[in-house]
Amino acid sequence: MHKKLSAGDKAFHAVNYFVFAVIALLCIFPFYYLFINTISNNDLSSRGLIHFFPQEIHFSNYGQVLHIPGFAHAGLVSLGRTVIGTVLTVGGAAFLGFLFTKQEMWGRKFWYRFIIVTMYFNAGIIPWYITMLNLKLTNNFLAYILPAIVSPFFVILVKTFVESLPAALQESAQIDGAGYWTIFTRIVFPLITPILATIAIFSAVGQWNSFTDTLFLMTDQNLYTLQFVLYKYMNEASSLAAIVRNSSGGQGLDLANLQTPTSIRTTVSMIVVFPILLVYPYFQRFFVKGIMIGAVKG
Amino acid sequence: MTILLKKATIIAAASVMLFGSAACSNGGSAGNTGGNNAAGADNASGKKELYKIEVLSQLANFAGEQGGWYGKILKDKFGLEANITAPNLAGGAAKFATLMASGDLGDLVIFGNDGQEYRDAIKAGLLLDWTKDGLLEKYGKDILANVPEALEKNKKNFGEGKAIYGIGHDASNMPPGPSEGNTMTYQLDMRWDLYQKLGSPKLTKMEDILPLLQKMKELEPKSDSGRPTYGFSMWADWDGNYMTLAKQFATMHGYDIGDGFNQGSLLEIAAHEDKYQGILDENSYYLRTLKLYYDANQLGLMDPDSLTQKFDDVVNKFKDGQVLFSWFPWLDSSYNTPAHTDAGKGFQMVGFEEQKIYSYGFSPLGSNRIWAIGAKAKHPERILEYINWLYTPEGMMATTNGPEGLTWEMKDGKAVLTDFGKQALKDNSVQVPDEFGGGTYKDGGPKFNNSTLKTSSINPNTNEPYDWNMWTSVLQDNPNPVDKSWREATGALTPKDLLVKNNQIALNNPISTTEAPAVMDSMLSQKLSQVGAIIKEQSWKMVFAKNEAEYNKLKDEMIQKAKGLGYDEIIDWQVEQTEKVFALRNK
Amino acid sequence: MQNSIQAQANVKTMSDKKLFHIKSKHTLFLMALPFLVLVFIFSYMPLYGWIYAFYNFRPGIPLSETDFVGLQWFKSIFSNPTQTGEVLRVMRNTVAMSSLNIAASVLPVIFAIFLSEMRSARFKKTVQILTTLPNFISWVLVYSFAFMLFSVDNGLVNQILINLGIIDAGVNFLASDSYTWLKMALWDLWKGLGWGAILYMAAIAGIDQELYEAAKVDGASRFRSIWHITVPGIMPTYFVLLLLTIANFINNGLEQYFVFQNAINKDQIEVLDLYVYNVGLLGSNFSFATAVSMLKSFISIGLLFFANSLSKIVRGESII
Repeated sequence: MHKKLSAGDKAFHAVNYFVFAVIALLCIFPFYYLFINTISNNDLSSRGLIHFFPQEIHFSNYGQVLHIPGFAHAGLVSLGRTVIGTVLTVGGAAFLGFLFTKQEMWGRKFWYRFIIVTMYFNAGIIPWYITMLNLKLTNNFLAYILPAIVSPFFVILVKTFVESLPAALQESAQIDGAGYWTIFTRIVFPLITPILATIAIFSAVGQWNSFTDTLFLMTDQNLYTLQFVLYKYMNEASSLAAIVRNSSGGQGLDLANLQTPTSIRTTVSMIVVFPILLVYPYFQRFFVKGIMIGAVKG
Repeated sequence: MTILLKKATIIAAASVMLFGSAACSNGGSAGNTGGNNAAGADNASGKKELYKIEVLSQLANFAGEQGGWYGKILKDKFGLEANITAPNLAGGAAKFATLMASGDLGDLVIFGNDGQEYRDAIKAGLLLDWTKDGLLEKYGKDILANVPEALEKNKKNFGEGKAIYGIGHDASNMPPGPSEGNTMTYQLDMRWDLYQKLGSPKLTKMEDILPLLQKMKELEPKSDSGRPTYGFSMWADWDGNYMTLAKQFATMHGYDIGDGFNQGSLLEIAAHEDKYQGILDENSYYLRTLKLYYDANQLGLMDPDSLTQKFDDVVNKFKDGQVLFSWFPWLDSSYNTPAHTDAGKGFQMVGFEEQKIYSYGFSPLGSNRIWAIGAKAKHPERILEYINWLYTPEGMMATTNGPEGLTWEMKDGKAVLTDFGKQALKDNSVQVPDEFGGGTYKDGGPKFNNSTLKTSSINPNTNEPYDWNMWTSVLQDNPNPVDKSWREATGALTPKDLLVKNNQIALNNPISTTEAPAVMDSMLSQKLSQVGAIIKEQSWKMVFAKNEAEYNKLKDEMIQKAKGLGYDEIIDWQVEQTEKVFALRNK
Repeated sequence: MQNSIQAQANVKTMSDKKLFHIKSKHTLFLMALPFLVLVFIFSYMPLYGWIYAFYNFRPGIPLSETDFVGLQWFKSIFSNPTQTGEVLRVMRNTVAMSSLNIAASVLPVIFAIFLSEMRSARFKKTVQILTTLPNFISWVLVYSFAFMLFSVDNGLVNQILINLGIIDAGVNFLASDSYTWLKMALWDLWKGLGWGAILYMAAIAGIDQELYEAAKVDGASRFRSIWHITVPGIMPTYFVLLLLTIANFINNGLEQYFVFQNAINKDQIEVLDLYVYNVGLLGSNFSFATAVSMLKSFISIGLLFFANSLSKIVRGESII
């Protein structure tokens, strides 16, 4: 790795850096553009006059969102479901994915497919709601957690990953008389951290961004999630048209002074992305560096 | 995905508001009893035991606890604390469906229309019969006194002549007449200052606006921020089964989609005469409007972004002064800011000679947004008490204009705005004093979003309409230069007054029948939406066609495809309903 | 209990080995059982709702009081020639869009491979974070951004083109029906490239580093070790994802297409999901919606097993 670079290598890196810099720029600019619009004068922004630099910087858009009633509590609920949900999802996927790599499992193929095909099921909202109602999972925090424990997609990912590891590792342990649980915790688990980190990111983002379950299952405001609260807030803004028409044909309401849904929507998505960006680098280290099977073996 | 569904509900709600504000007036009757003695409402003047109610409102744009000044009134006067669920805001039809499936819609239920969902709720036994145990006689005295016909209508249409499950909105005890406020729902508005500068040319037919808009554009080629100006700037995100903005000129000729009673679809029906036209008929106002837009585009008067922008973008263009024409008086407010009007610039009604503006007249029967009470409500009488109060002058005034003493007060037998009211009713972000509930005026306003009596009805205590916008004191309080110039030029106080004076209003007449409004079965409504998708797509293409030949080709294609998908079937169904309505109208 | 004692007796005869096996295969199943129960409860139980597809179902009204309509809703998809024409058009778009997606599915792989070849860890991490950002911008906002770029009055692109004298008057780029499929695929790629690459980054991280060291010792060039170590290392993940993508062939989703659709590009942009939404019935016609989602489930699962057998024939191993 620390060898002197050949001319070919230099050219490779130059091209590589350049291409990735361009891609990164293409990705960051829209984000930057949306961001400067949230902190610029709302009137200028709504008239499309902010292009490359923010003007008349203010943070009242953010202030407004942070002052939504119940914001902090909803944030805690979201944090709770994200942490607990992610831990259980990752654990469930890891263990189940591992079990399905065991050829000797009774009906392995059948049960594996039993889980996989559910990815393509969609029974519709009403039967789902009735099921949850019968399980007493309405107005119940567990509704955020229990359905997430088995996620077919993640199970597949883990299974594929475990299968790509050298089989000899597990076999030798089995000969030593180790049980499945020991093999899982001692040998497999440490080796599959890259895929678990990935699953953790996917699952955490999924939990953090989810609001349909809150929407249909929760009437208790103590169980509202941040995303749901923001979703409502955003929609209140975009139903502007309806408000205008409903208030005696719009008399007395000033379209000119209403904040535009776009600015609210943008602000909200900035606020939602922020925590994700904060946590992301932590998980990143699990897959930026390759694993060393030798180290585990030894 | 869910955001989309949600979006769809907004669109749906918007179209309901646009096309659904049905019914109208006939036979005045039932003089308002007046008086503030809402039966039972404030008996035993002490505070009532707190009663938390779940409110399901298909019209609300807010979900959560009703707070602020209106929440305080609910609490102090009725001991009610309301938690609102708003499918409109989140979940849409699916949210409502899950509640239906759960067997409990809530304590106070507000339906966006009297269609399938309302009937299903009755059929499933989820709504309370108001006649049970004499509830209505005991707690609904003011409803009975003010709008007995509205109750009767609900009984006949939905309760098999026996039970009353709800009452429709915007009923009124007024004699027949246009029920709009100062302005109509649809009007032909333009930049008044430019119109004046061009010598106020007389417009005879709708097409005459094109040369006028051309001159206006020459006069003012650039907006405030230096962008080009346009005659029309349109948006597609409110379209239902046709191009929404292509309906507007029909409404200026007395035609609207729907007959004000049955579900509407693709038939334009006149209010002032027994005539109708399919929107794809050769001489329909719909096609005539498309042609107008096509010509406008050829003349460079059409905003080329119209196809791809959303409503919000259009509002921003109005704000910036990029647009010279408006179909809706409420849209004017985006340009008519003090900064513009003080400089004499602003939108006002211009109108044209042939116009016959559609009016949803006063109706003693009420319209189709329903107030109902859930079958599982613990104390239905306390909810009915509240609804009843909404039919008293006291309830109407508070709900429409804010608490007495805060935003308005009585002076010489008339209601006038206080200084606070002048500020708060115009700029909703004003803070309300704590003794009235605190918070901003807007956040504290009534969030159920349904009405009882029409707000343009006369308050017997003041002999003026309930709506503060229509009070003489407000109208004459320092009008802006644009309004002033308009009033001088026309000799009328408000656009409605002028239209009434010129006999340019097409007044829809309410009908009374024992049959419930007809609703399409699911098969036919499926066809309707497929036909609608084609009509929408082709209409927009026609407006932006390159030349006349392409325009005609697209038109023929539209008609042919629409017919292939069942257009005629839909029209036949609608005509059948409409003929029935015409027969009843003339009784 | 007794079994385990016997197993511990550890006498290595044939019969004992068999016994151990029987025990373990059930142990394994029992370990998986709680999870299977969860799946049954949350994914299989609601399937009773598929029965609604055969009724004129209205929520809240018991099925016993509802009309049984048989296959009416399934048939209604092809009820007349014009409609069949519409469905065919929509299927053409669906196939085109899905094929492009499948073709584009190698791009995140390439992205991940080349990114992992970066020498600066900081640069690598930064690029990775930045490229996942678009994934968090909703399609509605993506559209507002696109409108900002391409609108006639205000669009950056039009302004630049006019200033350069390439065009005289603004062009409405968003209202164009040329290359719609490709444009949609590009937007999708922009939004999903970095996010999709995460999985492959993980797969690459799972490759034993000793292999690279060994290759280096053997004097293998950079591209040789990519080709012989990295690529085979990611292939299992790639094939699994490919399989799932194929199974999702008719499920393009609709949000992206919904925000970008307009009258001009609708002929090309309307995929199956969007069409079903546009004809407006998913909101309130639950029977029709159920019929559609039932059909889609069957087609997807059919495709899943079809692609799986194909993999068995071509690659000699099945994926699921």
